[in-house]
Amino acid sequence: MKVLYKIALLAGISAAFTSCFDKSRPNYQYFPNMYEPIPYETYSEVEAFPNGKEGQIPAQGSIPRGFTPYEHENSTAGYDLAKANLKSPLAADEIDMPRAEQLFTIYCAICHGDKGDGKGNLVKREKFLGVPSYKDREITEGSIFHVITYGLNSMGSHANQLNQEERWQVTHYVLKLRSEL
Amino acid sequence: MSSHYEAPIRKPLIIGDKNYHDVTVDVARPVEGRANKQWWIAFTIALAAFLWGVGCVAYTVGTGIGTWGSNKTVGWAWDITNFVWWVGIGHAGTLISAVLLLFRQKWRMAINRSAEAMTIFSVIQAAMFPVFHMGRPWLAYWVMPVPNQFGSLWVNFNSPLLWDVFAISTYLSVSLVFWWTGLLPDFAMLRDRAITPFTKRVYSILSFGWSGRAKDWQRFEEVSLVLAGLATPLVLSVHTIVSFDFATSVIPGWHTTILPPYFVAGAIFSGFAMVNTLLIIMRKVSNLENYITIQHIELMNIVIMITGSIVGTAYITELFVAWYSGVEYEQYAFLNRATGPYWWSYWLMMTCNVISPQVMWFKKIRTSIMASFIISIVVNIGMWFERFVIIVTSLHRDYLPSSWTMFQPTFVDAGFYIGTIGFFFVLFLLYSRSFPVIAQAEVKSIMKTSSEKYKKLHAAHDNHSHSEHNH
Repeated sequence: MKVLYKIALLAGISAAFTSCFDKSRPNYQYFPNMYEPIPYETYSEVEAFPNGKEGQIPAQGSIPRGFTPYEHENSTAGYDLAKANLKSPLAADEIDMPRAEQLFTIYCAICHGDKGDGKGNLVKREKFLGVPSYKDREITEGSIFHVITYGLNSMGSHANQLNQEERWQVTHYVLKLRSEL
Repeated sequence: MSSHYEAPIRKPLIIGDKNYHDVTVDVARPVEGRANKQWWIAFTIALAAFLWGVGCVAYTVGTGIGTWGSNKTVGWAWDITNFVWWVGIGHAGTLISAVLLLFRQKWRMAINRSAEAMTIFSVIQAAMFPVFHMGRPWLAYWVMPVPNQFGSLWVNFNSPLLWDVFAISTYLSVSLVFWWTGLLPDFAMLRDRAITPFTKRVYSILSFGWSGRAKDWQRFEEVSLVLAGLATPLVLSVHTIVSFDFATSVIPGWHTTILPPYFVAGAIFSGFAMVNTLLIIMRKVSNLENYITIQHIELMNIVIMITGSIVGTAYITELFVAWYSGVEYEQYAFLNRATGPYWWSYWLMMTCNVISPQVMWFKKIRTSIMASFIISIVVNIGMWFERFVIIVTSLHRDYLPSSWTMFQPTFVDAGFYIGTIGFFFVLFLLYSRSFPVIAQAEVKSIMKTSSEKYKKLHAAHDNHSHSEHNH
């Protein structure tokens, strides 16, 4: 009986201690000395900036090291110019097909389909329609790059997800898929 | 009685016409009586100093270690000085109760209780410094090797600071057990004499139901002997480990193999001085002059003289080795001690620690209570400066002249130290009014061999039998 009482007491104490933890809220902390950052963390809210965001837009016209601005503008004229004149800067040995395939599978295949036939998962499940097959369109490496950079019609810009080099890799992979269709 | 042989050269350890009951009454009197005005004044002063220290510690913990005078070069100063000083003081208690027990020194019996109390109270003071000199004392539990959620992150067992944790905590707990075991028969005595139900209840709890049967006594003696045997290597190792904080470093002036025995000798030296200071007052205030006799004081003075000479030898050895080493850093460290900006602390230490114990060679001085009292205080000042000199003068000027600096304590440094002195006396004053300050059970065991009354009886008996024989 006495042992039972002790066990009950122990269980009660541990229940009392653990019951204070609320799963919908961050747990209690013991002396959080260096838990909260003193410098601005990426994506954090910062009161010092007018829009309250840590990520501020760089000054217009500034060019970071290792970056070349894309000279064609986002318009039909720009598209036509890119289609006609823009050539891939990648040499033959710089084209990395396995990586390009991975990038395509991640960012493109959900709509365009693994084969580029316009039969991606979203299309098959009829979330939306109207994704054409690469075979049906007259596209060049310049136009593909231009469209990935700016988007076209329903497609949005992918310049945020893929950098210039990656976009060229994907361009080469798209051309390869098109040749196989 | 005629079978008993004790050399007539031995002086009595219990003076006056005392019987067993007188011992009981004399020991119980301070506990059973009421505190007088002087006690309350002393207690108030000690309590005020303690509370002031609490304030300074709270300020340090709340604001930061920067409130102290330590700086980037002299990271250890008063904190560790006071820590080593208090640990050193604590050592005499164990020396008296353990080492003197192993050597069968009967004179220890009147002083061991208070000496052990002094050990425990001063180790408590010492233990506060390692915690509160931390930048983040609330994480002090990390020094314990406890399984945890950091992938079971453990402590590194290579640091003498970690050994300090084990040494001090073991020392405190063993001392406490040793002390309390010895207190059981005395608490039982107070329990049996208690008049009010409250004191009866208190001393019943404290005495653990001691009934003083033969088997109890036999085991009591065995436990005391075993604990004394354990406490002796412990007391030597504790201060050795404390000395490792310095000896294992690479700082010129610290990196010395002599430090362990030299620190232990210094600890006994300062500890006995503190016992002397306290007991000279206590024998007067608590009317225990018949038990803590001038012979006790003289014997403690002799221990102070011997250990003071060992410390003096160590000083000379260090100086010799510094010269002999040919290491210019080591040589400069000692030159700096003697002639640098802290020359006054070095020479104060040398004067207090080397000269003052040597006057004990004169019987007139070592049997003078006033002289013993003054010297015992001088020794503790000197031993404080020994630790200060070792720590600060070695740190403030070492390898790189560009990092040479000075150390200036702040009022917070001083306040913490004053606070520990206050806390020590708060504990000791409370102890002296609630604990049997003399191990009456042990003193009674030497009554028939070493008290003045029985020595006279023996002498008379011997003379009588001699004259009979001559017939």
